[in-house]
This record gives sequence, structure tokens and C-alpha cells, in this order.
Amino acid sequence: MEIEFKVNGENVKIDVSPKKRLLDILREDLNLTGTKEGCGKGECGACTVLFNGERVNSCLVPALQLPGSSVVTVEGLRRWKSYPAIERAYVEHGAVQCGFCMTGFAMSTVALLKEQTFPLSREEIKWGLGGNLCRCTGYSKILDAVEEISHRDDILEQVHEDWQHEI
Amino acid sequence: MKSNQPLNSEKVFRPANLDELDALAAQTAEGVTYVAGATDLLVQEERWKSARILVDLTAVKALHATLEVRENGVLIGAAVPLSRLIRHPLIRERLPILVETCRQIGSVQIQNRASLGGNIANASPAGDTLPVLSVLEAELRIGPRQNGEFEKLSLDQVMLGPGQTSLNGNRYIAQIFIPFPPRDAFWYFRKVGQRQALAISKVSLAVLGKKKEEKIEEIRICPGSVTPQIVRAQKTESLLRGQPLTEERIEKARAAIECEVSPITDIRSTTEYRRRITGELLREALYLWLRN
Repeated sequence: MEIEFKVNGENVKIDVSPKKRLLDILREDLNLTGTKEGCGKGECGACTVLFNGERVNSCLVPALQLPGSSVVTVEGLRRWKSYPAIERAYVEHGAVQCGFCMTGFAMSTVALLKEQTFPLSREEIKWGLGGNLCRCTGYSKILDAVEEISHRDDILEQVHEDWQHEI
Repeated sequence: MKSNQPLNSEKVFRPANLDELDALAAQTAEGVTYVAGATDLLVQEERWKSARILVDLTAVKALHATLEVRENGVLIGAAVPLSRLIRHPLIRERLPILVETCRQIGSVQIQNRASLGGNIANASPAGDTLPVLSVLEAELRIGPRQNGEFEKLSLDQVMLGPGQTSLNGNRYIAQIFIPFPPRDAFWYFRKVGQRQALAISKVSLAVLGKKKEEKIEEIRICPGSVTPQIVRAQKTESLLRGQPLTEERIEKARAAIECEVSPITDIRSTTEYRRRITGELLREALYLWLRN
């Protein structure tokens, strides 16, 4: 079926099977390989993207629900003004080892910063990132990074501003 | 000999409103596959692969966007994402048991897609909202409409067992009406799973109660994940109803519910574990009520 939707702010038109997963459309049809496939069952969060402004597992979104929607992937997120500060926090806390889960964590982090009232407690961060699995770095450093970001008013303001421009 | 028909010739419908949806449901002879948040559907490979006529319920505003707070309850579109319920200030205030349950389902990514209608239609005994909808005595509105009216059914009239519903002939869940419990009602929901996020429940328990002059005026108890159908523990309820809540009564209730439920053994847990934990959860719930 023919599908028109927006990816990272640009209009896209493709002809795909209605059952094709958003994850595969991004990686195969649009060559946006920043979004990763982990479990393919909505459990690991590696394929997290923003879909109409909400974070979802792109492995669970079928093409037939895409017409008219707006999707943001990590390739789009990298252009956000708030992104370098988030990246720096992850790097400075040593929260990135193999990096496979990282694009999913980055998407979940901006969504969490947008969704929640601040500052976030450690428990709230754990709950908010519960849908993302990391199998090598471990969670303490990731939680440290996000905890630091969630206390930085300048980053939070920038995330909210970016959200209005980019979604 | 090769067929001229392409192998995967799926048909897709995205009805723009209820009238289009009802016409489609009534006029399609073949069984259709309704798609809401797709969080269960896409991981059920056989079912998903064999689906030929796909109907996107998120295209229908009455199902995907309806959230009407009324004086006595709230009307929720069957395909409304759980996260909208979690964030809604009035639902948080009046239906904390539902909000807490939704928060414990999957992850935020899942909650942004999953819906009450999907949880019911998927008909898993481990569907976490089911025991809660049962104690809240939710009313399900089933389409297509007959003479302009949805059919109104209770949860146990729709969910018949694992993967089994009474929704044959392209009938669909349109909306769910949840009456508000009294503001001072006691509520409890706990699920026991392998881990907190993204775990399918081994056992869960929902309790809703109301006291009047130190006696239990009303109590509704519903275990989840333990039996094929979602049924309230009516014998245990009647042991408590009209009685003062005492430690002795709590111990009796625990023993009663352990006799009343007949849990299954499956990949996630055993009959004996589920029976014991159901009793322990009820004990915990009632002690919390006693002390608050």
C-alpha cells in the first residue's frame, strides 16, 4: 500500500506491505539504521522512536497505521539543540559501552524529560526507562546520567522547546 | 500451477468514523482483524500472518480519542492508549486503581499504544486490566450498533477464556464505561511477576471495598492470571460482606480464597504457588485496609 508520512520533519512516500513494521521501513526503505532491532517483541526498547510525539516500539507499529503520522528517529534527534548535552551526560558517566541499546535509551530519555514533572527521583527514572534494556553497561551509570540531566533546568527547557519545533 | 493472486493480498480499511466502521463490520462476510495498539497482535505471529482483512481502529475517533468524564463515571474509547488514562487528572483522582494498574503494564512505550479494548479482546487471563475492570463493574459497549445503540455487556460476557471472546461475526469493543467508586472506597491492585517492567503476571489481585460504620458494606475481589476466565471470588466476598474487618476475619478470608480459586499450572507458575500467593495478596490487601 502507498503510505505518506513524516520522518524527522520530511515528507516520505513509500509503497510497502501494510504489515511491514515501522522498524523495517526505517532501516530498509529509508536507510535510517540508527534505530536497532533487539527482541522484535516490544520488550527491549532498542527500536524506540517517537510516533506522533509519543515514544513507541517501532517493531510493534504496522505500516497500515502510518499514513499521516509523524515519526522522529535518533537521526532526527541528533539535530535537536538539546541533544549534545544529553549525549555528553551519557558519555561523561560512562553509560555507553557497546552502544547498541543507546539510540533507544536516547529516545526514551528525551520522552521522559518531556513527560515528567521535575526533578525526577531515581525511582521515577527507573520507571520511565523500564522499557529499555541494556545488556552490558549496567543501569547505574545510565541512571546517573539521566539523573544529572533531569536536574539541569537549561536542558529541560531546551527539550521542551525542541519538542515544539521537531514533533 | 501458480496462482495469479499475490500470496499476501491483504485488504486494509481505515474507517473515518463509526458509521463507516459499522457498515464495514456488517457488510464483510469474511472475518476481519481489528488493529488497535497492536502490542499483542504483532507478536502473535501465526494470527498476524494469517490476518487478511485489517481494520485500523485507531483511525476511528470514537474509539481512539473518546475520553468523556461524566458525573458518575468515565466513558473510554476502546482503543485509547493507556498513557492517556494514566495522565488524566480526573481519572487519577477517581480511578486510582485503574491508573496504578495501567502504570504496571509493559513499559511507557507499550502504554503509549496499548488499550483497554485490546486487553479485553486479546482475552489473556493474564491481562492486567481485566481483574480491575471486573471489580469496577465496567460496562462494555459492543458494536456494530443495532438501531443506533451499542450492545452493553459485562466483562464476563465478553471474555470467555484464553483467547476466547463472544465477539464473533465482526463485533468489536467500541467503548468502556467505568462507574466511579465512592471517593472513600478502599482499593488494592498488585501483580506478581518475574520483574517489575515488561513481565507477564503470575498472579494478580484487585480489591475494591467500602466500609459503613466499621462494617464492610461492599467488597469486590478478583484474582488475575490464575483461572482461564476472569471471575470474582464471590464466596470470599460474601464471607466478608456485612462483617466487621478484624484480624480473625482476614485469616478466614485468606483461607476461603485459597479454597475458592482453582489456579492453572503453566509456563509462568504452578497451581500451588498461585493458590498460596492469591491468599497472601488478599491478606495483604485486607491488612492494609484494616490499618488505614
